[in-house]
Amino acid sequence: MAFAIEKRAITKWLQMLLESGEVIAPVRGPCGDILFSTIHSPEQVAWNFQNPLPPPKQFVLPQTDPLVTIKRNGERYEVAPTYDDTRRILFNVRSCDAKGIAFLTRMYEMEPADASYLRRANNLTIISLACNIPCPLGFCVCTGSGPFLSDSYDVQLTDLGESYLVEVGSEKGEAVVSGVPNLFRPATEDEVSQRKRLETEAKNHFEQETCHFASAMRRISTGRVQDALWEKMSDWCLECGGCNMVCPTCYCFSVKDLGRDGTWIRCRMWDSCQYAAFTLEASGHNPRAHRKERMKRRFFHKVSAQYYQRDAMVGCVGCGRCIKVCLGATNMPAVVGAIRKGKWNE
Amino acid sequence: MWGERVRQPLRRRNGKPESVSWDEALDHIAGRLKALIGAGKPVGVLGSPRATNEENYLAGKLARAGLQTNNVDFSYHSICGPLFAGLEEVWGEHTPTASLCDIASSQAILLLEGNLAETHPRAASSVIKAVENGAHLVTIGFRSTQMARRSSLHLQTTPGNEREVINGVLAAILDQQSEDPTRVAARGEGYEALWQDVRSVKRTDELRQAAEWIARAERATFLLACSDGQGDQPREVAAAFATLAAITGHLDRPGSGLLPLLARSNVRGACDMGVIPERLPGYDPLDDERARQRLQNLWGKKLPLDRGWGAENLLQSVSGLIVVADDPPSVVPMGRRAMDAMAGIEFLVVLDAFVTPTVRIAHAVLPIASFAETEGTLTNMEGRVQKLRTATNPPGEARMGWRVLAELCARFDIGNSYTSATDVLCEIAQAAPRYAGIEQRLSEDGWGGALLEDFDSAKFVVRPAGATRGAALASAGRPHVLVRDVAFDWGRDPLVSFSPTLSRDYQSERKLFPNGFVEMCKGDADALNLGGGRHVRLASVHGDAVVPIRVRADLKPGVLSVPYAFRDQVASVLGTDSVTAVNVEPP
Amino acid sequence: MNDAFLPDVARLVNVSDETPDTKTFTLRFRDLKNGGDFHFLPGQFLELSVFGYGEAPFCIASSPTRPQTLETTVRRTGQLTDALHRLGNGEEVGIRGPFGNGFDVEVARGKDLLFVAGGIGLPPLRSLIWNVLDERSRFGKVTILYGARTPTDLVYKRELEEWGKRSDVELHVTVDAAQPGWTGKVGVVPSLFKKVTLHPESTLAYVCGPPIMIRIAVQDLLALGFKEEAVISTLERMMQCGIGKCNHCAIGHRYVCRDGPVFNYGQIRELVE
Repeated sequence: MAFAIEKRAITKWLQMLLESGEVIAPVRGPCGDILFSTIHSPEQVAWNFQNPLPPPKQFVLPQTDPLVTIKRNGERYEVAPTYDDTRRILFNVRSCDAKGIAFLTRMYEMEPADASYLRRANNLTIISLACNIPCPLGFCVCTGSGPFLSDSYDVQLTDLGESYLVEVGSEKGEAVVSGVPNLFRPATEDEVSQRKRLETEAKNHFEQETCHFASAMRRISTGRVQDALWEKMSDWCLECGGCNMVCPTCYCFSVKDLGRDGTWIRCRMWDSCQYAAFTLEASGHNPRAHRKERMKRRFFHKVSAQYYQRDAMVGCVGCGRCIKVCLGATNMPAVVGAIRKGKWNE
Repeated sequence: MWGERVRQPLRRRNGKPESVSWDEALDHIAGRLKALIGAGKPVGVLGSPRATNEENYLAGKLARAGLQTNNVDFSYHSICGPLFAGLEEVWGEHTPTASLCDIASSQAILLLEGNLAETHPRAASSVIKAVENGAHLVTIGFRSTQMARRSSLHLQTTPGNEREVINGVLAAILDQQSEDPTRVAARGEGYEALWQDVRSVKRTDELRQAAEWIARAERATFLLACSDGQGDQPREVAAAFATLAAITGHLDRPGSGLLPLLARSNVRGACDMGVIPERLPGYDPLDDERARQRLQNLWGKKLPLDRGWGAENLLQSVSGLIVVADDPPSVVPMGRRAMDAMAGIEFLVVLDAFVTPTVRIAHAVLPIASFAETEGTLTNMEGRVQKLRTATNPPGEARMGWRVLAELCARFDIGNSYTSATDVLCEIAQAAPRYAGIEQRLSEDGWGGALLEDFDSAKFVVRPAGATRGAALASAGRPHVLVRDVAFDWGRDPLVSFSPTLSRDYQSERKLFPNGFVEMCKGDADALNLGGGRHVRLASVHGDAVVPIRVRADLKPGVLSVPYAFRDQVASVLGTDSVTAVNVEPP
Repeated sequence: MNDAFLPDVARLVNVSDETPDTKTFTLRFRDLKNGGDFHFLPGQFLELSVFGYGEAPFCIASSPTRPQTLETTVRRTGQLTDALHRLGNGEEVGIRGPFGNGFDVEVARGKDLLFVAGGIGLPPLRSLIWNVLDERSRFGKVTILYGARTPTDLVYKRELEEWGKRSDVELHVTVDAAQPGWTGKVGVVPSLFKKVTLHPESTLAYVCGPPIMIRIAVQDLLALGFKEEAVISTLERMMQCGIGKCNHCAIGHRYVCRDGPVFNYGQIRELVE
């Protein structure tokens, strides 16, 4: 059962959401760039925007995430977990980002589950905005994560011109559209067909084509990618770790106790599998000492059948951020294309 | 444990550092320095490429107007100074004529490098974009680096003979220009003499190809890394490189030019702010009358005329020294000897955010804010002035560096009522003509900063090629060459050492080899019957040393390199040279 | 939901020197967060916090048949282990765990067991050895082959003597290089294979030690007729979380902290680096 809401009623809805928790939305900053930020008024929400480079994953997985406090008390140490039970609503995220968070949640739910992450995820409601016009660098059609979603959202909005189609995908989604009967009405048949039409049009609209995932997956999973190819590709990588930072599905981290003088906070911090010391052991031995080995690792994690089977999801949401951020030339479409062809495009 | 920050002003009493108040620290410092000056003892100030323009400017002002000395420098200057001198010989400026964007849209790139991907990833990124778009990349260097592997052509050198290779390209270019006079883009004074010089240089197919690409390109960029070679070599290499850019017409063509690759964030700014013994703010020569007048009016003080000492001499000669945001022993080529020299300074004051080895031996320490906690500007290697905006508060009682230096200036009667870093910048705009109007431009611009209008002259002087056959370093008795690697060891940067994630990277090598190592190729190691971690004895004309080796894939046979950070371990072998012939054998 | 990163606080109740750079720490929980006993399998590991320095994974060297004595043997290699070595009795550390799959003790019942260890590779096997010795009748022949670089580097010297005296254990100890006073064998650990009679079809072999020793030992065992599933080892990797999330210990899609650290040789061969 789909609903609809008139565009002029959105402000009221946002006001209601603002009363129920922290609302995070894309916001245009003073220099014109868009960032996902906490909003205080409905006017701050951006509606026509290019997806910002930082994804919204920091709201479930902060870059520096406090987990445990440790205090020295004379001879004794006192430890306590830190809790983040804040109720949050992510508003106007794109399909790829909604799928990205769903992926992260799948990772952290796996036994043994991570309570710290799940506390945030369970208290997060995702209201996504489908992409009528795909972004220039995106390739979500190839990864099943857009431009329109059929799952992984609590509410999915589609811009129909005068109104938004409102699809509810979960109980949490139900909760944010109920209690305000005057704002939402059942969608008309026209509206529903318009939404379907918009999805088809959007799918036909892609500039970036990388539907080589299946064949690349086969090759990676069966060890048929030549070492020489990894070596060559790794020469186009500058190990900046940018891809890991902006990727909605990257979640590698380090754990460090930060602090001094008897008070520490054990924090989880984003890490990059591309950094030289990612697998460095205390003895000095490093199983992935060479850049090509680390690159191979990254793409095995994202694209292999072994992981796909384990996760029941592809490790990439086709958002195109790695294309934008890469200081070198080793973004997902380029590497996947090279794996499929067996050679790097030069 | 994760990186000690300096949190309180400290004063050494009875050999131990004690926390004191800001006022006590500042008064004490001013008092001691005045006493030294009164007793006729030399004092000096070291600025830093890690410091902001405002900090460097005020450090220079304090030195010249306050302490009345021209003993002002920054430790990295001994490495970049020769490069600037070389450029100045050719077109009278030390400034670049190309920007990072120009690199990305170039059709030909000539790169003289140590390891660009490691030392300048941002510039490497631009090079990669250009190559992706079909640009011809020609690399010159002794390592087979990441850029060299991606190049269209790699001109292999052995350490010390870069000049030969550049002369070779020059010769090939001149050949083309003589065959087709329409291709002569520009003649500078000295062109004919150069032609004569390179007559005997051997032209190879490779050199001809490189020349062809450069000459045919509408947009070509020339990238030059600082080398800290010995004697006049670095300056001459820079001059030759600049000459190449000039005679191919690429010096001043839009989209083309030369970009010197500097280390750290604010080398260019430090030079512009005049923390150099023979330069005033604005990079004007010390004895330039107009510049002296300008500054004397601005600062209200007469300025000393005697030339000051450079960094390495400073460390060994002054009785009182203020060091701003730097750890000289980790930067200057003399390495550990700098630490020994500093131990002899009667009164050493350090302003820093982190506890460095220099901080540990200082008599007074003033805690300042890091880049994320301060206001100010930096000028990058392109000549782009960028603003720092405070993101967080400094710990403890640390203050913004410009404020601390302003307080010191005030105690030497050259204060001013600066209420913000912008006030300092406005004064800089008056002191350094290139920076005129900068504060206005920065407030209008978004994140991109403001590119200083640098290059406006098409006149250049063609440098002679000099000796076109370098004397071979290696000999029968010493068939290998040991070179001190120029790749700047940013692993010593406190912001890297104290970062929980990045420090693991850099410290990995130190853990296995706490006393450093030298690197050689596998072939050489096998010939000696040694594996990585084993020791060798290196013997040169200066002396010998026993050091562990590591195998490094990008070196050619016969070449050993020592990372800059480990130069002390082979000081007895290198002497004051940066490259020397050695005999290598098992210990 | 358990807070996976919250350590329990434990006290050191005994610290003994094994070698100049290795110590064995006996730990007792101050207050377990679950209130109950600490249950673990041999071969599992702990994430041990030295407060103020950080956390690192260490295998449990004691057996679950002796729950009052939780032990780990640690070599001093870096900042954290250095700090740990400076702690004394009564001082507190943090413990998370137990993590990992541990050894499958059930599948070993009734079989002959061969333990092959080198240097600091003995501690992870020790938890299984004592488990077996404490339930001796449920297992077949027990053979222990152990060696270190020098006599000083042998760990558990007193226990080695004890095991050597038992009639239900065949023990051979060797060193790479002798020292004055050493009357035992000299040679690498794999050289001990020819000293024992092995029945590959009814034996499980557990191999732990420096990579090169493991490689040679495994080669020799396979040549002797051992099946790949019967040759078992533990893998070591850089770890941070211990719960299969941070990805530091991932090899292909396997996580050493969750799918290991115990793997048989067939599984090891299939791992995608």
